[in-house]
Amino acid sequence: MHQTPHNVTAELEEGAIRLRVDREIYPLPAIYGASYVFIDRCFVFLERDGEGRVVVTLQARDPNPAEEALRALVGEFSNELLSCAWRHQITAENRHLIEAVTSQALAGAMGPPSLDDLASFDFTSDGFEDPLGIAQSWEEKHGRKNKAQEAGAAGAGEEEGGR
Amino acid sequence: MMTLRFSRALYAGEAVDEALGAFAHLVTAERSATAEAWELRLTCLYPAHTRRIVGELGNYALARTIERGGAL
Repeated sequence: MHQTPHNVTAELEEGAIRLRVDREIYPLPAIYGASYVFIDRCFVFLERDGEGRVVVTLQARDPNPAEEALRALVGEFSNELLSCAWRHQITAENRHLIEAVTSQALAGAMGPPSLDDLASFDFTSDGFEDPLGIAQSWEEKHGRKNKAQEAGAAGAGEEEGGR
Repeated sequence: MMTLRFSRALYAGEAVDEALGAFAHLVTAERSATAEAWELRLTCLYPAHTRRIVGELGNYALARTIERGGAL
């Protein structure tokens, strides 16, 4: 029996290697991912043992493989397993972000709103409060007033002066 | 004749069926199911190539299971 560093034990058989993978450390999608990578190099069979582990049998395509080649498969499969487990964890951690970006992209792909959408849109709500008048234009704030405003302002000044 | 067992927890039944369909010209098979596994009793039409045919059938069933997103 060959003990690898990541709780994967391997047994050498005739023309094949059997690895027992702890599912508490390596989730099933990671085991699937690593197995998929090796399908073009080996015949891959998955089984379950009674202890919650998955038994991965890698059978060499060559009927008489060298023992060194089989032992090398253990290390390569373990590396791939670790890589797939890590990618699986990253995907799980970023799932909300991926879903948000995807839904925004799909919403953008739906195109601009139609006239009916605009007609039914509620424009009455104020976007934000502007107590300092930051959003006002220079003309609105300091520009020349029109004649009616000037006359109103002058009348108000005369009334104040007459008092 | 040989028996192949595919755990229900690891292989999709549809994927096993697809594999059987793809290799129908190379094997004759009797399919049965237990609570734990899909079982195939296979007879290879080319006995000299049994090892390879069985291996490729297993790979096919596993690949289709993975492409379907798993056994369930």
